[in-house]
Amino acid sequence: MITTPAPSHAAAARQWFLARADLGALIDGLRDSGRRVIGPTIRENAIVYDEIQSAADLPAGWRDEQAAGRYRLERRADERVFGYTVGPTSWKRFTFPPNLPIASAHRTGSFGFEQPTPDAPPVAFLGVRACEIAALEIQDRVFLGGQFTDEDFRARRAAAFIVAVQCTTSSSTCFCTSMGTGPEVHGGYDILMTEIDEGFVVHAGSPEGAAIVAKLPTRRPSHAEAGAAVDNVESVRTQMGEPLPMAGINERLKLQLDHPRWAMVADRCVECGNCTMSCPTCFCTSVVERSDMEGRRSTTERQWDSCFDVAFAKVAGGDFRSRPRDRYRQWLTHKFSTWFDQFGSSGCVGCGRCITWCPVAIDVREELAAIAPPIAPVIRPVAVEPVAASPGSYSIARVATIRPETEDTSTLTLTDVDPAFLAGRPGQFVMIALPAFPAVPISISRFRANGIDLTIRAVGPTSTALTNLHPGAKVGLRGPLGTFWPVEEAYGRHAVVVAGGVGLSPLHGLVDALVANHDRFESVSLFYGSRTPEDQLFRDDLAAWSTGKAIDVAITVDRAGPEWKGRVGVVTTLFDMISWDCTKVTAFVVGPERMMQASVQGLISKGVPADRICVSMERHMECGIGLCGHCQMGGRFVCKDGPVFRLNELGDLFNREGI
Amino acid sequence: MDDHATVISMLNHTWFGSDLAPETQERLAKLGVIQDFEADEVILHEGDEANEMGILISGQLALRTLVPERGPVTILSVEPGDIFGWSAVLAAMQVQSTVVATEKSRALVIEGTKLRAALKEDHALAASLYPRVLQAVARRLRATRLQLLDLFAR
Repeated sequence: MITTPAPSHAAAARQWFLARADLGALIDGLRDSGRRVIGPTIRENAIVYDEIQSAADLPAGWRDEQAAGRYRLERRADERVFGYTVGPTSWKRFTFPPNLPIASAHRTGSFGFEQPTPDAPPVAFLGVRACEIAALEIQDRVFLGGQFTDEDFRARRAAAFIVAVQCTTSSSTCFCTSMGTGPEVHGGYDILMTEIDEGFVVHAGSPEGAAIVAKLPTRRPSHAEAGAAVDNVESVRTQMGEPLPMAGINERLKLQLDHPRWAMVADRCVECGNCTMSCPTCFCTSVVERSDMEGRRSTTERQWDSCFDVAFAKVAGGDFRSRPRDRYRQWLTHKFSTWFDQFGSSGCVGCGRCITWCPVAIDVREELAAIAPPIAPVIRPVAVEPVAASPGSYSIARVATIRPETEDTSTLTLTDVDPAFLAGRPGQFVMIALPAFPAVPISISRFRANGIDLTIRAVGPTSTALTNLHPGAKVGLRGPLGTFWPVEEAYGRHAVVVAGGVGLSPLHGLVDALVANHDRFESVSLFYGSRTPEDQLFRDDLAAWSTGKAIDVAITVDRAGPEWKGRVGVVTTLFDMISWDCTKVTAFVVGPERMMQASVQGLISKGVPADRICVSMERHMECGIGLCGHCQMGGRFVCKDGPVFRLNELGDLFNREGI
Repeated sequence: MDDHATVISMLNHTWFGSDLAPETQERLAKLGVIQDFEADEVILHEGDEANEMGILISGQLALRTLVPERGPVTILSVEPGDIFGWSAVLAAMQVQSTVVATEKSRALVIEGTKLRAALKEDHALAASLYPRVLQAVARRLRATRLQLLDLFAR
């Protein structure tokens, strides 16, 4: 049982109840007011809109069963008149006729062209749904909202009296809730009716509507009847389930003009044009000339056309959309993307006609999801609370393995670490200490299921002692500390990692994350330069990354003997390989400061925005928490505000001597 | 004789040749000859008279210098699009470093004498080719300076 608040007293006061048996009085009233009545009626096993004479023409007791490529009429268990959704026709047939003479010409005696005066006798549309009112309003914007207008449409629209009907049922093809057009009717009508078991709750939306309602054999609805009307509509929203994620669809589609799915769907599409003909908003037309045999009198007739027609974009020199994939892309991108640019809204109202009446069951909802899936919201992680943050307070970990990387650099895998270290982020570091040795900052080079890797170059007493440890030895850890690589901000972009020498160590965890999520990036690349081939870190990982498909790896060395068959030259020479639009690059750079400066200069000259270049700075650190003052860099402490910075955060501090 | 259209098409895939005027590309195509090199094949010898300039179309080359007691040291690799043997543009020059193909490679090779004669007599060719050669040399100079800094030194 859906519990919807009962309509307010004021709203109920404007409502009336019309018994189903008295529906004929509404049709008679509309006809008596000089209007032709167009409404739902059954023709050739479908509910279409056509002229009706009486209530007997309405599809009482019928429902439509719809799915992609499927439409069937079935008997209802009751005698509801509007117990169906929408059929193959739409109201555009009457506001924007399929064939319309728009000019005539003659050269008998005189020479001239004449434009017919719009002929739009009063008409009443009976049974207009919420999505269809939205379609009429879209037509208003297309035909009347710009500098040039369609006066025939204006006349027909003005002549139309709208009797709207709330949807109390939905089909599997309906998605008005996704397009924000239904199921509730909120305006744009003269009379609004909601069908309930015994009849209709009626509401007038205009003085003309009130005049018609005033003549009907109505009474005030009971509280239960008014509440049932509201509940019936609300239940439709529930039936349709969760709306499709349409946010940003305009931009999402524009990014996918080269998606392979365009060709796949075109292989299925038979280009019948049913989707455009049944669409309540498609407005493409062509003009046909009809002439007498002597060419003295002619008529110009406007006809509905379809962008799926093979000749639709043809010119004397060729065809701008010669392939079916081009035509399908044109249709879908117009409806859901470029329509926004032209007319301020989507061109789709979610009526589902294009799905039902597609003979090969192409479902626009599926195509949108495949071609332009919603961009997953970026959840920016926050740094985990470090353990043993205070200097002098350490969490104990154990050395599991120690692997030499180069002559003076080794990687320690630590286990039995506090879970906080496992929850660290690539780019963060730890302070590591041994009894009798001062703590040193070391980047976490890898996060493992039950431990972390620290890659350490023996340059001082502590680092030398650490690289000389054996498995089983214990070390003191504080952390994880500092900022981390903003991986998520590179989603959808070209992620470029530039590493120099041991600078690959703080980038290893980042590369792992990029590789694991490579399908979220436009591309992933690693440019790695070292002094000699023997100075390369992580050679097994480099080999594995190079042979995989998740990341493009380019390696160079500054100098090498003849046995080295790879590239020789500084890492910036690798930038010549960049062929992408560099405004879409997010770069992560680590190496000796002069190498970072040259790399940053190279990247910026290629067009990479400064706020999309991240660097990891190295400074003397002792406390790791911004209290000792050693690592101050201008107004920042590298340990606490860094070590990872966006270039624009550093401003003039980067590349400045003596800071 | 190579089909000029094929050579021009190859030039268009190099940064050195892609933006040259069509007449210049045509002239280069006529002057040069496409040559294929096997891996480890020595193309130019350090110290020899510089009489060939090449534009690498595909593959990879190494520029090597002999260092006493260390043997040949690779100082730079040449990627597709770049040139080698640029000394041939100047008369009476020696090849600065040995050029070796590190993999199967293909290049448009122009004989130095012919190239210098063409540059002397065809000012339009000279006006478009010299800045390119200078650009290539400047790139190399910039990269070499960075190498000299020995950024990764301990």
